[in-house]
Amino acid sequence: MHDIELRVNGHAERASVPAGMTLLEFLRDRLALTGAKEGCGIGECGACTVLLDRTPVTACLVLAVEADGLDVRTIEGEAADGELSALQRAFVDAGAVQCGFCTPGMIMSARALLLRSPHPSDEEIVEAIAGNLCRCTGYEAILAAIRAASGTGGEP
Amino acid sequence: MTRALSCVGKSVPRGDAVEKVTGSARYAHDLALPGMLHAALVTSPHASARIARVDVADAAALPGVRAILAGANLDVRLGLYMRDKRILARDVVRYQGEPVVAVAADTLDIAREACRRVRVEYEPTRAVFDPRDAMKSGAPLVHPDLESYAHLEGVFFPKSNTNVAHHQKIRKGDVDAAIASAEVTLEARFDNPPVQHVPMETHAAIAQALPDGRVEIWTSSQSPYTVRHLMSVVFGLPHASIRVHVPYVGGGFGGKAGLNLEPLVYVLSKAAGGRPVKFVATREQEFNTLPSRQGLHSTIEIGATRAGKIVALKATYVWDAGAYADYGVNVGRAAAYSGAGPYAVPNCSIDSFVVYTNKVYGTAYRGFGHLEVLWGIERAIDQMARKLGLDPAEFRRRNLLTVGDTTITGETFTAGHGKPVECLDAVAKAIEWGTPSTPPASSTKRRGKGIAMLHKAPAMPTSTSCSAIIKLDEDGAADILVSGVDYGQGTYTVLRQIAAEELRLPIDAVHINSDCDTAFTPYDWQTVASRFSYMGGHAVIEAAADCLRQLRFAAAQVFGVAPEKIVCENASAYPDGEPERAIPYRSLALGYVYPNGNAIGGPVIGHGRFIARGLTHLAPDTGQGRPAQFWTYGAHGVEVEVDTETGEIEILRIASAVDAGKVLNAGLARGQVIGGVVQGIGSALWEGFRFDKEGRLKNPSFVDYKIPTAKDLPREMVPILLENPQPDGPYGARGVAEHPMISVPSAIGNALYDALGIEFASLPLSPEHVIARLAEKGTKP
Amino acid sequence: MLGRFEYARPQSVDEACRLLAEGGRAAAVLAGGTDLLVDLRNGFRSPSLLVDVKRLGELQALKTRSDETVVGAAVPLNVVVENRELRKAYAGLSDAALSIATYQLRNRATVAGNLCNASPAADMAPILLVLDAELTVQNAKGTRAVPVATLFTGAKRTCLVPGDVVIDVRMPPLDGELRTAFRKQQRIRGHDLAVVNAAAAYAPSRATLRVAVGSCAPTPVLLEPFDTKGTSPQALADEVLRAAAAATAPIDDVRASAAYRRAVLPVLLRRLLADVVSGRGGGI
Repeated sequence: MHDIELRVNGHAERASVPAGMTLLEFLRDRLALTGAKEGCGIGECGACTVLLDRTPVTACLVLAVEADGLDVRTIEGEAADGELSALQRAFVDAGAVQCGFCTPGMIMSARALLLRSPHPSDEEIVEAIAGNLCRCTGYEAILAAIRAASGTGGEP
Repeated sequence: MTRALSCVGKSVPRGDAVEKVTGSARYAHDLALPGMLHAALVTSPHASARIARVDVADAAALPGVRAILAGANLDVRLGLYMRDKRILARDVVRYQGEPVVAVAADTLDIAREACRRVRVEYEPTRAVFDPRDAMKSGAPLVHPDLESYAHLEGVFFPKSNTNVAHHQKIRKGDVDAAIASAEVTLEARFDNPPVQHVPMETHAAIAQALPDGRVEIWTSSQSPYTVRHLMSVVFGLPHASIRVHVPYVGGGFGGKAGLNLEPLVYVLSKAAGGRPVKFVATREQEFNTLPSRQGLHSTIEIGATRAGKIVALKATYVWDAGAYADYGVNVGRAAAYSGAGPYAVPNCSIDSFVVYTNKVYGTAYRGFGHLEVLWGIERAIDQMARKLGLDPAEFRRRNLLTVGDTTITGETFTAGHGKPVECLDAVAKAIEWGTPSTPPASSTKRRGKGIAMLHKAPAMPTSTSCSAIIKLDEDGAADILVSGVDYGQGTYTVLRQIAAEELRLPIDAVHINSDCDTAFTPYDWQTVASRFSYMGGHAVIEAAADCLRQLRFAAAQVFGVAPEKIVCENASAYPDGEPERAIPYRSLALGYVYPNGNAIGGPVIGHGRFIARGLTHLAPDTGQGRPAQFWTYGAHGVEVEVDTETGEIEILRIASAVDAGKVLNAGLARGQVIGGVVQGIGSALWEGFRFDKEGRLKNPSFVDYKIPTAKDLPREMVPILLENPQPDGPYGARGVAEHPMISVPSAIGNALYDALGIEFASLPLSPEHVIARLAEKGTKP
Repeated sequence: MLGRFEYARPQSVDEACRLLAEGGRAAAVLAGGTDLLVDLRNGFRSPSLLVDVKRLGELQALKTRSDETVVGAAVPLNVVVENRELRKAYAGLSDAALSIATYQLRNRATVAGNLCNASPAADMAPILLVLDAELTVQNAKGTRAVPVATLFTGAKRTCLVPGDVVIDVRMPPLDGELRTAFRKQQRIRGHDLAVVNAAAAYAPSRATLRVAVGSCAPTPVLLEPFDTKGTSPQALADEVLRAAAAATAPIDDVRASAAYRRAVLPVLLRRLLADVVSGRGGGI
């Protein structure tokens, strides 16, 4: 077991985890943050995307112990004080959500994009979310939502 | 009623979107119960083998293992239409990936470790992988006991001592004579590989066997009541003892219809002393163990006059059911009665065979056989048009169903069916059909345009029914209870709009259950076949009317007028012409209280229902009858650019028209069209199972089974929703959710011919496939 | 859980080498983890110790100086993609890195990891072969340089031995003249492994062209350098195609048939040569 300390959505967390536990398992099973989903377990679908020190990663391919000392942000940290972020609002308004299973990961990829590039080009948007598979929407409304959220600031 | 619609037709955002964008929406995948165990599976490495021995001693010795089951422990067969499948393979395995042993343990890691310790000895037996081979005499029988299987009698016709699980016949006129005397004939063959639905949430289920014999289930399913009913049939339990919860579902597309993992987790829970057991399929199991879309081999003959009228169509459809055909038989049936396309065909003969093979089995998938059948039909129609020297759009115009025509099952086409030709014209216009493509930037690229028609009706039992309850709250708002599942398509939002419209409430004052629970939400067959907004819509209208009746009755007493003189508007009731006297619903919802304390009325709870009307079984020998509650027609027009050096196809634009009857929610309908088109592009260009010579699936993961990403979209997508009303549809609406996916491959295939002059007959149209065909063409003299 | 194993995060390269030496074959180096953790999940590998080298300073180095170009072994691919100096000097390197996987995975995956996984389709291999790159490898006994050209010994096999830690990947100093390019054929535009990939580096003043090809043989293949002096572009292309055909032996697999690989390899190579000859591959 390894003792780790990290920040998750701004809260300090301390835990003892086995080396083989993924960050995704840690978030879901230990912290009950079930917004990040396992869609494949091998980093191919992006449903488990979270931010690790502001960059998006697939939490299924990160060990919890690797996140020791780092800052983790999940979909649960996106709405501040119960208010949807402009990005979340844009997803609702653009009809970018159908079954919703890919949505948390999709929004985290988009969040990371807006953090590094507040006014992204279409090409940047596509590159940023191409690792997030969605089977329902055909992506068009998702791209529109991210475009609409462009310029709404890095921080929610 | 001429009142302008206040809510129906508006692009109301999904009611569940906030939960979904915040990550708080709970899926079966996310649920955990106190004391819950986790299950894992041992699956077969062989496509066909006898199970000689199962040794679970080492696995059972592992601390934390609470139950181990093998097929020998379970003597039931499962199935909705055809009871041919077991929970765990018994005596034999019939496909690689079939569950053989299941373990429930304290943790998933222990369950998986236990599975690694299970030893199964197999004796491989002769397998059959191609359904055409499986139809030959002497082919190994996938189900030697087929004769003894229970099935829906009079609807499905398994052939004993063969691999044919169902043979659907459609006979109209004299097809052989008509083809023999036709001025122009065409025969062509087409193939579709099996593909996967790929819902982002894999199948997941939890069950708890309670000590008094009841069972509680939480499942990622499209079918709460069908799960309950089949659990009852399979295990001999009273319906009321089975409670099925369906929380948010992460996509289904047909793959989560019927019964899937629920029996497995139930028997494990029983074996584990009643602790709840959860099983979540891995992505590999989703591909390799859970059902897929069946492959298809089509042979199509068309006869026509030189003037371009179709006189006959003869087709043989051989479906690759895989190892089990519970749903496959119905796909083979539905695709047969739609199997001549949306055309007036005076002489028609269709034989649709659903054939067992030793591969992962098939089920419903968005379009229910129609994408597959129309891949062949719509490509053949194009070929026939060329043979006749006609423009493919014009040839279609001359043959599309119009008022007064009869379909191949003998149904009369009416104005209420919608207008297929308007769909065709709309897409033709959108892609500037008839105008050659602008030349590509590179000399090694070619461009082309194609069009294709589509149609589909819900495939469902003749007595399919649905119900809804609306309860008014203390504040006068409405709560809708239904058991249709909104797994993304948006039907709950549409039902809220309908209720708001009917009850004269603002949309924000209409709520709907976000999950289904057979203990509380009323009966619905299952959410498949693009039927729920239609049937559920009717049920909600009736439930709303029931509520209004109760409101009017109470208000009538208050005002001392007849109930029919009461107007309900703006969440309030008043005597006609006296809106200033209005009583808000909130003062009536639980009963009206007079100033002196006396009360009348009572809680307003409305009930509505709908049952399919006028449907008949199809005559066994001719397929004549009325199978369809409604038909939805549509068309795609597409322009492609092909890189002749790499074989890559880029979709420059695709226009997709569907005659929706009435668009209930424009934003959601658009979402269905775009999503369906992109899924159709997946089927067209990339998707398909690849098997090795031993029948092992070679691409059971996202590494080698590619679905469209955000980089793979057409440059332009143009959804077109037409509104030629369905007279018996709610507000004139008909279903549109599956349809946009159908015929996308056909339109692309037709465009490819235009670009390259090559007839493509099989899917997917991968770069490799395109290059192979170009090479073939290049080497021919 | 990805299995039962120990995890160590050494504070120095020496400590990492010591841990790996003690662990022997049962120890594995963890950098980005995007291949290793998938192998653990799928049960293809089951080490008893993971030595996490990601945070070691030497492995995080990224130098683009006139005297050396160094990419630390733990530098994520996105850092390479987004480095303007590298893009300016070695466009083919940036493009190769960008072609790998998804944005999320490139935040973890590394150049060195892509090489050490030794897939025949490794996208970083052709470009690093034509750049004459070498790995700095350290173990408990010392440090050595391993040219990428000698790294691959077979499909999924390298000349590295248990105990080795790759410290960095070294390329020649930024060369204002060198034109590099990378091309990849895949099944879908979205993330995919290469059906065929190839890279080229062309130095006009030295009249030298180097070409490497991936996914067409058990290992990525570096062709003998081509002398471009006095050769027409057409003749040069023919020569490259002939050499590539002779040096490769494509096979059928789930991603593509040998025939398709043979068909697109010349296409890719011609396009690649156009990239470097016309200067679209960067350089001056």
